[in-house]
Amino acid sequence: MVNYLIVLFAVTLIYISVAERFRIYAGLMGLQGFLLFGITLLELQEVNTTNLVIIASETVFFKGLVVPFLLFRIIKKTGVYKVHKLAMPGFYLLILTIIALILSLVLSKALVNPYINTEYMTIALFCLFTGMLLIVTHKYILSQVIGFLVIENAVFILSLAVGNKNPMLINIGILLDIFVGVLILGMFALRLKPHTLELTRLKD
Amino acid sequence: MTLTLFFILSAVMAILVFILKNRTITKNIIISYILLHIVFTAYCWINLNSTELVYFTFDSAGVLMLAVLSLLLIPTVYHGFVYTKTDKTRNFNIYHTALIALVTSMTGAYLANGMTVLWIFVEATTLSVAALVYHDRTEKALEATWKYVFICSVGIAIAYIGILLLSFIYGRGDAPILSFSSFLNLASIANPLYLKIAFVFVVVGFSTKMGLFPMHTVTTDAHSVAPPPISALISTTLMNVGFLAIFRVYTLFSSTVILPFMNNVLILSGILSLLVAAGYMLKAKHMKRMLAYSSLENMGLVAIALGIGGIGYYAAFLLIILHSLTKASLFFHMGQFFRVLHTFRLDDCGKYMKLHPAGGLIMLTGLFGILAIPPSGLFISELMIFKGLVFNNQWFLLIVTALLLCCIIYALSTRVMHIVFSDPRDIELQEPGIIKPAETISQFVLLGLVFFMCFYQPPFLVEMINRSIVALP
Repeated sequence: MVNYLIVLFAVTLIYISVAERFRIYAGLMGLQGFLLFGITLLELQEVNTTNLVIIASETVFFKGLVVPFLLFRIIKKTGVYKVHKLAMPGFYLLILTIIALILSLVLSKALVNPYINTEYMTIALFCLFTGMLLIVTHKYILSQVIGFLVIENAVFILSLAVGNKNPMLINIGILLDIFVGVLILGMFALRLKPHTLELTRLKD
Repeated sequence: MTLTLFFILSAVMAILVFILKNRTITKNIIISYILLHIVFTAYCWINLNSTELVYFTFDSAGVLMLAVLSLLLIPTVYHGFVYTKTDKTRNFNIYHTALIALVTSMTGAYLANGMTVLWIFVEATTLSVAALVYHDRTEKALEATWKYVFICSVGIAIAYIGILLLSFIYGRGDAPILSFSSFLNLASIANPLYLKIAFVFVVVGFSTKMGLFPMHTVTTDAHSVAPPPISALISTTLMNVGFLAIFRVYTLFSSTVILPFMNNVLILSGILSLLVAAGYMLKAKHMKRMLAYSSLENMGLVAIALGIGGIGYYAAFLLIILHSLTKASLFFHMGQFFRVLHTFRLDDCGKYMKLHPAGGLIMLTGLFGILAIPPSGLFISELMIFKGLVFNNQWFLLIVTALLLCCIIYALSTRVMHIVFSDPRDIELQEPGIIKPAETISQFVLLGLVFFMCFYQPPFLVEMINRSIVALP
C-alpha cells in the first residue's frame, strides 16, 4: 500500500512540473499533504501513539489543509491564475523532470543502505530535484515558493524513512514549516502578486 | 547547569525587553545581557571540553568563535543604541529582542555537539535575522527580508537532507542527536558515496550562513539594507556559524577516503566565491554591498585555506577571526558614514576625510586591514595560504587566486580612495551630520587589534586554534 502512495506521489511531482495554472499547484500541494499523511500512518508503525498523533495531525492539518488554503486565497485575492514559464516551456521542463527521475533512480541504487528503503530514497531525491527545477526554471515568486514546499516534502519523506526509530528527526524536520508560514505570510505582508517577476529594488 | 541558566536568563531578558515599554529599562537589560554573555564565555573557556545538557560541548573551536561574538557584542549594542535613538519605543524593543534571540541562537550553534541541534539553532538565527533586517520597515527592507528568508529556507532544507543522509550512516537504532563524537568511529566504515553527497549538501546548505558560493546572494541584499550593527553581525559572527558547521563536518570526514574530494569541493567553492566577488566589486555602486562582496571574498579564501590543508587550517581560523574584527569595524562605521554623507551610493560620496577626519582614517586603516596589506594581521593568514599553495605545488590555483585578489584590491582601493579624498561625481554634498568622536573608538580598537596581531599573536589564541585543528590530518 505504501508503495502505491509513493508512486502516486511521484506522479504528482511530474504533474507539478507541467502544470500551467496556480490552482493546480495549490491542489497538488494539498494532495501531496494527504499522501504524506497516508504514508506516515502506514510507515510509522513502531512510533508511540503520542508521537504518531503529533506527526500525522501536523501533516494533514498544515500540509494538507492550511498551505493549500492559503495558496488558494493568494490566487483568489490577486486574480492571477496562469503560470507563465519565462525561463523554460513546459515540454522541456517535463524532459528535465524525467531526467531527474532517472538520476534519482540511479543515485538511490548507488546509495543502497540497510537503514532506508530504496523507494523512499528515490522519491525523496526526485522530489528534491523537482523542487530545485521549479525554483530555477520559474521566475514567478509563487512558483518558487511551491518549489520550496516540494523540497520540504522531500525532507519529510526522507525523515519518514528513519522515523520509526528516531521520530525526533521528523519533528525537527517539521520545523521547516515555520519558514513556509513566514514565506506565505510574507507574501501577504508584501502584497506580492504571484506573478511578480522578481524583486528588483535591491541592485548593485 | 550554567548553560541552562544562560538560556533561561536570555529568554527572560528577551521577553522583558519585548514586554516592557521603557527604553531605559531595555538599555539596562541589554547591558546586563552583554555582561551575562561575557561571563558565560569566560565560564566556557575555563571549562573547556566539558559537556552540558547532553547536546552542548565547550570545545576549542566553538569557544573561540564565542569569544569573538562576546567581543563584538559590546560595540554592536553601543552602535545599536545610536542607530535606534530616534526609533519608536516599540521598534526599539523589537530590535533588541531580536538581537538577544540572534546572539543566543549563535551561542547555541557554536556550542552544539551534534548536527541536529546545530541545525535547529541555525534555523533560529534565520528568523531573528529576518526581524532585524526588517527593522526599518521600508519596501527595500521587506524585499531583503523576504529574499533572506526564502534563500535561507532552501539552504537550510538542503542542509537537513545532508543531515538525514548522515543519519542513515548511523543506522536506525542510534541516530537521536547525530553527535560529532559518536560519528567519528562510524565515518571510516561508511559508504564513501554517502559521505560525499552528505558533505555537498551540508556545504551548499550552510553556505547560506557562511556567505559562500553558491548561496552567497542571500547575505548581500541583507547587508545592504540591515542596520549597520546588524550588518556587522551578519557579516562576521553569523558567517562564523556557517563556517563552523562546515568545519565540523569536514573534521568528521577528514579521516576517511573522501578527504581529497572535500578539499576539491571547498577549493572550487572558494575560487568561485573569489570570482563572483571580484566581478561584482568591479561594478559595485553601493558601499555596503561592496563590503558584503568583500566578505564573500574572505569566505572564499577561508574555503581555499581549508581545502589546501596543512598550514591552511591554521590560516583559515586566523583569517576568520581577524576578518570578523576588521569587517565588523567597517560595518559599525557605516552608521556614521551614512550620517555624514547621507548616502551609500559610491558616485555620490566624496571628501570624507575633510568632512569626518576620524572616519576617513577608519576607512583608510580598514582598507589596509581588509585587503591584508601589511601591517594588517590578515596579511599573515593570507601569506600562510599562499605558502600552503606553494608547498602543495598548486601553482595554477595560486596564480588564479592572486589574479582575482588583484582585481579585488583594485576595486576596493579605488572606490575607498575616491570616497575619502575625491569630490562626489554626480551631486553636491549635503550638510554633514554631527558625529561624536567617541563613536569611532570601537572601530579604532578593533582595527588596532587586527594590526597588533600582525606582529604578535597571543599564545592563548595560538593554542586555541591549534586545539581546534588537532583532529585534522
